[in-house]
Formats: sequence, C-alpha cells, structure tokens
Amino acid sequence: MGSGKTALLERLIPSFTDRGTSLAVITNDLVTREDAERLQRSGLIEPRRVVAVEAGACPHTVIREDPTLNLDAAERLEMRFHPLDLVLLESGGDNLASTFSPELVDYWIFVIDVSGGGDIPRKRGPGVLQADLLVINKADLAPHVGVDLAAMTREARDVRRGRPVIVTNCRTGEAVDDVVDHIVRNVLFDG
Amino acid sequence: MLKLTGIVGMASDVDLGGTLHDLAHEDRVETIVLDRRDMLRKRLRTVTDKGTDCAIALPRATTLEDGAVLLLEADRAIVIRASVETWLHLKPEDAAAALELGYHAGNLHWRVAFHGSLLAVALEGPRKDYLARLDAFLADGRITLVND
Ligand SMILES: Nc1nc2c(ncn2[C@@H]2O[C@H](COP(=O)(O)OP(=O)(O)OP(=O)(O)O)[C@@H](O)[C@H]2O)c(=O)[nH]1
Ligand SMILES: [Mg+2]
Repeated sequence: MGSGKTALLERLIPSFTDRGTSLAVITNDLVTREDAERLQRSGLIEPRRVVAVEAGACPHTVIREDPTLNLDAAERLEMRFHPLDLVLLESGGDNLASTFSPELVDYWIFVIDVSGGGDIPRKRGPGVLQADLLVINKADLAPHVGVDLAAMTREARDVRRGRPVIVTNCRTGEAVDDVVDHIVRNVLFDG
Repeated sequence: MLKLTGIVGMASDVDLGGTLHDLAHEDRVETIVLDRRDMLRKRLRTVTDKGTDCAIALPRATTLEDGAVLLLEADRAIVIRASVETWLHLKPEDAAAALELGYHAGNLHWRVAFHGSLLAVALEGPRKDYLARLDAFLADGRITLVND
C-alpha cells in the first residue's frame, strides 16, 4: 500500500493524453472511492472517464479469481467512450502476493517502492517475479531510508530473468516516459 | 510488426495439416513458444523463433492453445506451441503432512496436480524458489522429493 500507484497514474494520464490516446481509468478501492475521486478532481482527465470498483473486503478476488466487476466496468467505459485505446486499472490494497488475472488485464505493472525496503525483490513475491513490468518507485527516498538502490535494482533484474524493471520518481516524473514507452510498445502496439 | 488477430485453425486439423507439412519442409513454419501464463493472454507482443516481431490481439472470447495457427499464407505459417512444463513431485510422510502441505501449496497459489499419494507442483519460476518455500517440510522429513 502506498507505493505510488495513483501517483504513477497521475503521471501516465497526461502523457497518454498528449499522445492522443483515448483513455479511461478504473480504480479498485477497498470500501472508499478515494483514488477515483482524487483522479476525478485532478483536472488531468474528464471525470466521467474514471470509475471506481469497490472491492469490499477482498481486493485480490476482483483482480484475480473473479474479475467480473472490473470487466463490467471496462465494458461500460468502452461503450460510453468508444473507441477506447487504453484502460488503466489500479488495484486496491495491494501486497506482495497480489496477481492479476490475464483474463482481465493485457499488461500488468507491479509498483513497489524504495521505502518498503531494499530486500523486497529478494522475497520473490509473485508480483515481483511475474508482472510484465516492475516499477521501483520513490527513487528519491533511497538515501533517506538507507536503501542501496543500485543493489535493489540489480536484484530485481536478477530474479525477473530479463523481464523489465524501471526505477521511477513519480513526484518529479523521472523515468515515467520509459513506462509509457513500454505500454505503447506492448499494449498499444505502436513503435 | 506483424499483427495477428485470430486463430485460423489448429495444426492438427486435417485440412491445415497438409499445408503446414509442406511449408515445414521448406522451413517456412515459424513458432511462438508460450508458457502457460502467456497462453492465457489476449494481447501480447512477442517474437517467433525466426525473429518475426508479432503483435497478437485476439477477441476476448478466443483462447490460445498448443497448435493454434495464427497465420497461414502461401509462403509462411505461424504456430503457437506450449513450452514444456516441469513439475516438482512431493511425497508427504503421512496424512497430517499431506494436509499441511495441501494448505501450504494453496496459500502460495501454487498450481498442483494430484498423483495418487504424491502432490505435483507446476514450476512457474526457478526450482530453488519453490524448494525454499518447502524448506521446513523437507528439513524435518514431513515431505520428501521424488525424482521424476
Ligand atoms: N518521495 C516520493 N513520494 C512519492 C512518490 N510517489 C508517490 N509518493 C507519495 O507516496 C504516497 C502514496 O502514493 P499513492 O500514489 O497514493 O500510492 P498508492 O500506491 O496509490 O496507494 P494506495 O492506493 O493507498 O495503495 C503519497 O503521499 C505520494 O505523494 C515518489 O516517487 N517519491
Ligand atoms: Mg492509490
């Protein structure tokens, strides 16, 4: 929790808007609509293009075993804003064991952050191992929390055996362009 | 980039088989090897064994499988192949160990198969990662590894 998923969305949205990508966002909050409301108020995106799916007590279920609610939300967005090029979905209450159903998402970004500890990659959670893209956020905090960022990144690359890893700072937007490039290439099939 | 938007048939189909066989003789069949997870995808950027850059974009209701033919042209075909799976075979010492192991494997969301008194675990990552999770079980002999 709090690794910077919404912050990353706030950076991604303007980049895709600039590219002319028709975009919508689904957030999965536990019982509130906090993230959705934050995005709707941000002025970055037409508020109606952001919807919240309330995951209730079971945040994993809606992204893995039973993605029906999220699929419905995506379908409704697609109907209303047809044609949509991209739907970004933020999971709620993530932890290291969260995974996404490939039925629900075409591309899965796992966001961890430096302040969670340099040993996260070594713990080899399924998100760290399997996600299409691993983002290590809050690069700026490394010196403050005593994390050797270079070692953490190396370890992440190691355990992911060739799958990409990007180190970002979503406060400043550093390396967010790299994340956009990965999505553009692997999801939008552009470039 | 070559865009592939559907399954045109199965390599095992009688009417496709002959054509594929002829193309294969001329070394014109390209394969895309996918693991089980990638097989579940509807959208995927990947390369064939001959290096062709492919963008697979399937309808939501279509599912890839071993032998699915995604392209069939006079001079080229592209076929999906499932990568070979490896399994870890575990033998619990007794019923109590079996219960515990089953609970543990479920907790870790491991994909398993039941082979009589053995539990088979599909390796979807490095073998040593799986063994590390089983450390305590192996150390006190509650389970043993069975060679396959
Ligand atoms: N220093 C620093 N702070 C960041 C960065 N990215 C996000 N934050 C801060 O981290 C906190 C959590 O960010 P969110 O974007 O809300 O995190 P989240 O993953 O969406 O959190 P949940 O939805 O609650 O799981 C906020 O206070 C952000 O301002 C970063 O790169 N550097
Ligand atoms: Mg959030």
